[in-house]
Amino acid sequence: MRWLRFAIGLLIALTLHSLLDSFYPNALAFFNPYLILVIYYAMGGNLVGAIFAGIAAGLVQDAYSGAIFGLHAFSLTVIAYIVAYINSRLVLRGTLPFGACLFGGSIVNDLVIFIMVNILLKQRIEMFEQEMIVKAIFTSLFGMLVYQLLTLFLREEPIEAARRPAY
Amino acid sequence: MAVPVDVIPRRPTLLFIVVLSLLFVLMSLSTRTRYVGETRTMFERTVMTIFSPVPKAVNWVGQSASDTYHGYLDMRRAVNENFTLHQKVIDLTAENLKLRQSEGDLKRLRSLLGYADEFSMPTTMAQAVMLDTAGAFKSMIIDRGSNAGIQVNDAVVNANGLIGRVVLTTRDLAKVQLVTDSNSSAGVLIERTRRQGVLRGDGGAAAQLYDVPSLADVQAGDNVLSAGIDGIYPKGIPVGVIVKADKGQDLFKAIIVKPSVDFGSIEEVIVLHTRKIPNDVVRYTP
Repeated sequence: MRWLRFAIGLLIALTLHSLLDSFYPNALAFFNPYLILVIYYAMGGNLVGAIFAGIAAGLVQDAYSGAIFGLHAFSLTVIAYIVAYINSRLVLRGTLPFGACLFGGSIVNDLVIFIMVNILLKQRIEMFEQEMIVKAIFTSLFGMLVYQLLTLFLREEPIEAARRPAY
Repeated sequence: MAVPVDVIPRRPTLLFIVVLSLLFVLMSLSTRTRYVGETRTMFERTVMTIFSPVPKAVNWVGQSASDTYHGYLDMRRAVNENFTLHQKVIDLTAENLKLRQSEGDLKRLRSLLGYADEFSMPTTMAQAVMLDTAGAFKSMIIDRGSNAGIQVNDAVVNANGLIGRVVLTTRDLAKVQLVTDSNSSAGVLIERTRRQGVLRGDGGAAAQLYDVPSLADVQAGDNVLSAGIDGIYPKGIPVGVIVKADKGQDLFKAIIVKPSVDFGSIEEVIVLHTRKIPNDVVRYTP
């Protein structure tokens, strides 16, 4: 059931990606629907599930963007693992913690992509700090709005998972 | 046999490390195929094929809504245009008679001068369904694939000029690398002086022209055309306009080219089924 909900979320993210590309091709420079989906899933605290969620969402994003295939899968898997790890030890619930995770996740996502591209490609790319911050802000705001809507209208919480005790 | 308690929490970490290693290998393979310019990994094509109904459905819905809206506007406009067109038909009929006479004269003169018929290559019309111009990698998905005869390295153009080349095909979709992509290269020439160079995307909205000597005559405003020397793009397609030509740091000029195509407003494109150079010819070393 959890995976079904994630798959539906992934289809919605891809639909959003397609729609935005049709009307405003630069939209993904400002916000990332796949990141929102992965962090939402990872906040359940299930480490293994989060890893696979990161891979699935990242590969779909890679297939429909011009980046190196596997690049977004790599970065989203790293973020999913970090968020799930934190949430397996701390109970983070509510819109603000979700927004904070999205903000941090967006920054980490761009940093991982920047590092991996500079390692793998002969041609260096520059890092745009302003674009990174703007993207983090917009992704957080949009993600928090989605979270609020899910909580208010569907009484939805981040996909639950068994928590491990803190050792 | 009981599993030690301290082993269980480490299993996700092990899985995490293994997954990251596999993804790194996948990225390395993908990076290599980007440079070779051949088909990308089977894995990428499979993922794209599985999810292809989503962008196609989105495009269909968007297109239908747009058609309905424009259909209504067109109907209102058609009534007024009909009246104007009636008048134009009368004028054009008279002009047509004159032009037929001129066409006959032109054919006769051409045959006298020995002009060859214009070379035509097979083409396919396609529609852009996704356009990714964010970040350093620029690409576009079009709604025609290998079923329509599209192959890797086919050139993609529109009425304004060169858009890019096909880098991946599925049965009903194809991925196009734009000329502004940071890994894109094209052989080009400056129309006024016929000086050749290599155009590379800068990952932004423009491209840079390399390998033009610092003594070459290059000015802002010069038109840039494809040179037809890279085995991908046919000769003579408009590529862009030079907006800046400075003296570079070494023996070559630093030239910025503004693409002639507005990548933010691409809708229909034409895929040119260019003649591919066989691999054994490309890789032959004497």
